[in-house]
Amino acid sequence: MTADTDWNFTSDTLHRQTTASPFRINYSPTQVSASGSDATSAESHVCLQVSSLSAGYGQSRILKDVSFCAKQGEITGLLGPNGCGKTTLLRALCRQLPFTGSCCLNGRPLEQLTSRQLARQISYIPQRSGIAISMPVTDVVLMGFNPVLGLLEQPSRAQKVKARGALHAVGLESYAGQDYLTLSEGQKQLCILARTIVEDASLLLLDEPESSLDFPHRHRIMELLTEIIRGQDSSCADGNQLNEVHRNQRTLFPGKAALVTLHDPQLALEYCGRLVLLKDGVCTAILHPATDSLTDMEAALSEVYGPVRLRAIEENGGRSLILLPRA
Amino acid sequence: MRTEQRQNTKQNMHLSQQNQANLSAHPECCPDSAMQRSAAPLYLSALLLLTACAVSLLAGKYPLSPEKILAGNAMQLRVLLTLRIPRTLMAVLGGFALGAAGFVFQTVFRNPLAAPDMIGVSSGASAGAAFAILFLPASAAAVTLSAFAGGLLAVGIALGLASAAGGYDGRLRLRRYSRRTASAGSGSIVLAGIAVHSLAQTVLMVLKLTADPERQLASIEYWIMGSLNAITLGRIPFYCAVCAIGLAGLFLLHRQIILLSVDEAEARMLGVPVGRMRLLILLLATLVVASVISVTGVISFIGLLAPHIARLLTRDNRLHTLTLSGLLGGILLTAADILARTAAASELPVSIFTSLLGAPFLLYLIMGGNGGERHDC
Repeated sequence: MTADTDWNFTSDTLHRQTTASPFRINYSPTQVSASGSDATSAESHVCLQVSSLSAGYGQSRILKDVSFCAKQGEITGLLGPNGCGKTTLLRALCRQLPFTGSCCLNGRPLEQLTSRQLARQISYIPQRSGIAISMPVTDVVLMGFNPVLGLLEQPSRAQKVKARGALHAVGLESYAGQDYLTLSEGQKQLCILARTIVEDASLLLLDEPESSLDFPHRHRIMELLTEIIRGQDSSCADGNQLNEVHRNQRTLFPGKAALVTLHDPQLALEYCGRLVLLKDGVCTAILHPATDSLTDMEAALSEVYGPVRLRAIEENGGRSLILLPRA
Repeated sequence: MRTEQRQNTKQNMHLSQQNQANLSAHPECCPDSAMQRSAAPLYLSALLLLTACAVSLLAGKYPLSPEKILAGNAMQLRVLLTLRIPRTLMAVLGGFALGAAGFVFQTVFRNPLAAPDMIGVSSGASAGAAFAILFLPASAAAVTLSAFAGGLLAVGIALGLASAAGGYDGRLRLRRYSRRTASAGSGSIVLAGIAVHSLAQTVLMVLKLTADPERQLASIEYWIMGSLNAITLGRIPFYCAVCAIGLAGLFLLHRQIILLSVDEAEARMLGVPVGRMRLLILLLATLVVASVISVTGVISFIGLLAPHIARLLTRDNRLHTLTLSGLLGGILLTAADILARTAAASELPVSIFTSLLGAPFLLYLIMGGNGGERHDC
């Protein structure tokens, strides 16, 4: 259910709520759309609108005419077998590849943004961060402020407090002074997620964030991601000083959207509000795991992954989906 | 009385060093123990550098003594002012510059073996010096200027070629897909540097062939071996100023240098204009190195050793590690220069001693002399 809720954010309500009670979650579900279709009322919440996007390396076209949208407060999953163009799509959105078609970020075409604006609005989380030299975990998080800092400017005290808040949110507070390279893969990814929190961009692009993680960390990452994009970043609900800073520094992005490429369809079905299925560079289906019928989804997933079975478990008024190979 | 004063100034230097270290660390973000651990090497190396300076001022073919200088011995004063002070100044500044630039190169190229001469600055400077020795009127200033121009020219060609070629990222994969991102990847810069380096070596070889073996060839060889001999006060202000400006730029841009060590795509999405920033930082570092080696001749190993020793001591890459790289470079070069002029009857090339002093210390640190903790570049 939750995955397909349309969150009605206005900067005003957000602000009022945060000031009133920092411990409360600052989003307010006002309407729950019955179907997962793009209702016209939800148009204002579309963060990223991709229409007939084609991109590739050199002469070869890897992505062909892909269209979808990513909404605020919702994780959009990109699913498909290896080589289907998931990473190419993310790279095109980062403007590292030339593309044709249109990509609008918060209503503005991607091409119109300067690199700096792009960096402020999009936060990119690679499969594994390319940090190759020793530095304290705090410094890694502070890198997230670079898009808003001047060339020679150093992070301010308030920003350092905010960074510590973000580390607290991901549960790495006690590692603040430790060398990033000595962290486990899971902790590294959490640390990068803390950096994403302080970046405060409106669109998060994640490239297989779960690929090198163990079972608990996969779920931890996806849960945190859900919190982050709903503006519920848990660093808000901590202490008074941190809170103050957070409230003052919070930008007016009411919520964020996340576009995540995932290897694991199970994880995608659990956490994504919308799934974009890719096969050979073509978008074969867009699914809404919370509301779509099992048979439709099973058929769509089978088309991409080969024959699979999809089962649902009813619990606490919601349903969990389980993907199994065809017997 | 006077010694007391000197001690006081030493202490003041200490304090300022310590303050600097405290400022560069993030007091509210890291545990106190980590901070103290990182401040101690800075403190010690500053002390060591001062000691080396004091020895360097007094030691040499013509030994000076503080008493005689204070008593106003004219000869002693002249030696101090015209020979020892410029020489010590150049050793400290040169070593500092080479160490700091080495740190920058290793970080930007993410390569622990990267050194300032990797992109052709030293071979360019050597070719420039050889050219001046052969064709320009014999004067030390002409050789220095020509070496400076040669070093900058070589790096300029290397960076220009890399930018023009664009796209080769060193992982044997051609990137031809975007004009917008056709900034020079670090892989292509290294390759262009290697190409220019060998070109400059060829030029140098041709110049050597045409040189008169009795005098010119000898002075070319001697220049290449590097020495702090024959440095006079009149020759160095320009190069010191260039060096200081470059160093100031590098220290100010430290945050960007660290960001450049991250994957290119990631850095770009963190708002770093990767191509332009890398070019700017490499140019600054080159300016620093060229201004030093054009005066001293090629000095090897400091740019490689000092940053590694610094990182092994601090175990990270923050501003204090950059400072420490510089201080250690200064210590190495000053100490090596003292040995170069006292070890034998005639003056020896300083490079012999920079590696003789630095390499064993680096080995000691790698072998776990510092507690055997894990080391990452």
